Amino acid sequence: MSGFAGTREAFLFALKRDRLILPVCLVGLIGWMAMYVVSYAGLYGTQAELNALYESVAGNPAMVAMSGPTGGLRSLGGAIAWDSMPALTIISGVFAMFSVIRHSRAEEEDGRTDLLLASGSGRLAPLTAALLITALALTLAAVGYFAVLAIGGYAIGPSILFSLAVLSFGLVIAGTTAVFAQVTGKARAARGLVGVVIGVSWLLRAVGDTGGGTLTWFSPLGWAQQMKPFWENLWWPLLLPTAATAFTVSLAFWLLARRDIGSGLIQPRPGPPNASNSILHPLGFSFRLQRSTMLGWTAMLFVYGFAIGVVGENIEDILKSSSAFTEAFASASSDLLDSYFASILTVIAILGAGFTISSVLRPHSEESRDRAALLLAAPLGKVRWVAGHVLIAYVASAFMIALTGLALGVGLGVATGDFSQTGTLFAAGFAQVPAMWLTGSLALFLFGVSSRLSSVAWGLLAAFILIWTLASFGNLPGWLIDLSPFSHVPAVPAVSLDMAPLLVMTALALAFTVAGLALWRRRDLV
Amino acid sequence: MSAVIEIEGLVKKFGSTRALDGLDLIVEPGQIHGFIGPNGSGKSTTIRILLGLIKASGGTARLFGEDPWGRAVELHRRLAYVPGDVNLWPNLTGGETIDMLGSLRGGLDPKRRKELVDRFELDLTKKAQAYSKGNRQKVALIAALATDAELFIFDEPTSGLDPLKEAVFQECVKEITGKGHTILLSSHILGQLEHLADTFTIIRNGRTAETGTLEHLREIAVSAGRDPDSLSLEDLFLAIYSD
Repeated sequence: MSGFAGTREAFLFALKRDRLILPVCLVGLIGWMAMYVVSYAGLYGTQAELNALYESVAGNPAMVAMSGPTGGLRSLGGAIAWDSMPALTIISGVFAMFSVIRHSRAEEEDGRTDLLLASGSGRLAPLTAALLITALALTLAAVGYFAVLAIGGYAIGPSILFSLAVLSFGLVIAGTTAVFAQVTGKARAARGLVGVVIGVSWLLRAVGDTGGGTLTWFSPLGWAQQMKPFWENLWWPLLLPTAATAFTVSLAFWLLARRDIGSGLIQPRPGPPNASNSILHPLGFSFRLQRSTMLGWTAMLFVYGFAIGVVGENIEDILKSSSAFTEAFASASSDLLDSYFASILTVIAILGAGFTISSVLRPHSEESRDRAALLLAAPLGKVRWVAGHVLIAYVASAFMIALTGLALGVGLGVATGDFSQTGTLFAAGFAQVPAMWLTGSLALFLFGVSSRLSSVAWGLLAAFILIWTLASFGNLPGWLIDLSPFSHVPAVPAVSLDMAPLLVMTALALAFTVAGLALWRRRDLV
Repeated sequence: MSAVIEIEGLVKKFGSTRALDGLDLIVEPGQIHGFIGPNGSGKSTTIRILLGLIKASGGTARLFGEDPWGRAVELHRRLAYVPGDVNLWPNLTGGETIDMLGSLRGGLDPKRRKELVDRFELDLTKKAQAYSKGNRQKVALIAALATDAELFIFDEPTSGLDPLKEAVFQECVKEITGKGHTILLSSHILGQLEHLADTFTIIRNGRTAETGTLEHLREIAVSAGRDPDSLSLEDLFLAIYSD
């Protein structure tokens, strides 16, 4: 069929574009799985510890809502599957979403698809190639999970089922993304819609699993977990994601064959012919540019904090069931829950630093999209413009993490009826702020050195995440742990607040901010 | 009265390549100065130095007698700029963008804004993501033309505009110079430039090849033995590049 002409070339080209990012993602996904396998073997080495875990979790509605049905927890394989599947499926889904959009709608939005189609490619070729490369990556990752489990000595059949379950969710999201990439003309909007689909499937599964169970069957995440690897080992639910993938992919191609290239089925709506006063000064305009990202992150972190808070009450029992966990969290204080909340807040702060970086680097994306010159040719100082974005980034980061602390406290209060911790957790959120600022200021410094160096900031964040994860599991050398700002955040509310590291980090953040702005002032605009 | 733009021996290096290699350019007050040269000859680099967006590696550039890099903000109060490839914020409408850009200069005259919108026939309620290239140019043109700047810097401002709007642009340029404003206009449309501009600078490989009025350029060509009958700006330009 001529619509598919050039698919091979498009696929090979996509492969070439992704030659770096794809191996990195695969290593990350498979490495994560390996971490679960290794750490669970260490943490729950004896059947007694496993039984204690089962006793504390089984049937606990909050835990079921977070991670799914708990019946498999009597075996180590079942426990790993239960704990790893929610995160692994969601991350695979997010990967599938980015990958499909990157090679289809984003290319089209930038006008490159026109070139391709005008040079003899079929109109179905780019989407086919996008789906193929995504499916290839997801399949390789699934083979990796299987290999990790098989090497760990787990039964072959359930290991295959587990890998297929994770794979199936990724493929459903790939198909769904392909549909939304036809519906909307904007890569960003398509990604947002798929994000909502992932969120709703999590919610349906959570509500369904804790209630009658009916809603679970409307959720692709529910399908994956209902295969219950290492426990009931059900293969037939695989039919559901297979059918959903086939349906969404067919629908996407059907829509693609009927729509205009370069636009979606939905046209953008008209807006106001005059600007509101809120964007008629530089800071207000910068705020407007960052607003939707800010709202998205705030909502996400708030919901996450609230959910963790609700589950919090029961965490203590789970933690006590594992001697290794108790050791891992045993700090100066004996209150396990407080230590747990402190570490959760730091995890959220590291994730939130992703927002800080993207927000600080907003001028970088304005610069690389050739919009900065339009502003800077007006009487708007270079430093003033960037400093405005940085100010927004720092204030919003502080606001977000404090709000997450508050959400934790409110969640805990809703679950226990006792809101006495709310104030403490709200205050504890603020302890994370200097580390987020320092991360943001490093991004600004890199931006100041050169436009091209800016994206190295993401590498820094990845390193901080890695250091945090490995430090809590294994034995990293102390100097390496010390390199991450997040290793220096005092574990409030578990310990009393030590202001020294916070002041040092704030001072460093200020220094890097000033240096970054000074370098930016002196360098050419790209 | 001193020159609005005064460039002497300007050099700009990007790594080992010399984008500008000793450029001279003088623009007097009230002039429309045509800035001509092929792609990659250094026109935009010159303009970006004048705007203080990039720093010169050598030579001098003066805008209203001052340093464009060090005094960028003060100087920008007196000029307006339209780039050749306008990129806008996809979620803002054309109207919002014009108002926002105008606000950086202390606000636009609403009457003048409306008049320009009508003449260029721009739909202000469309989001920038839905605009064609020509419509994005219109947004930047209206935002610039609605200001009361002393100097207008246009870098191929009409690329993507249809011939009707191209004519509207020419009218607007004549109107603003009638009021004594100065214009630096970089363009590839030599027919347009020949009628609009008083003086010209032709740039070649980062250096000034010729500069002066059309008559002056013709005299040089004639003294080099060319036929005086067929000497449009385009002929002169091609002659310089065929040497």
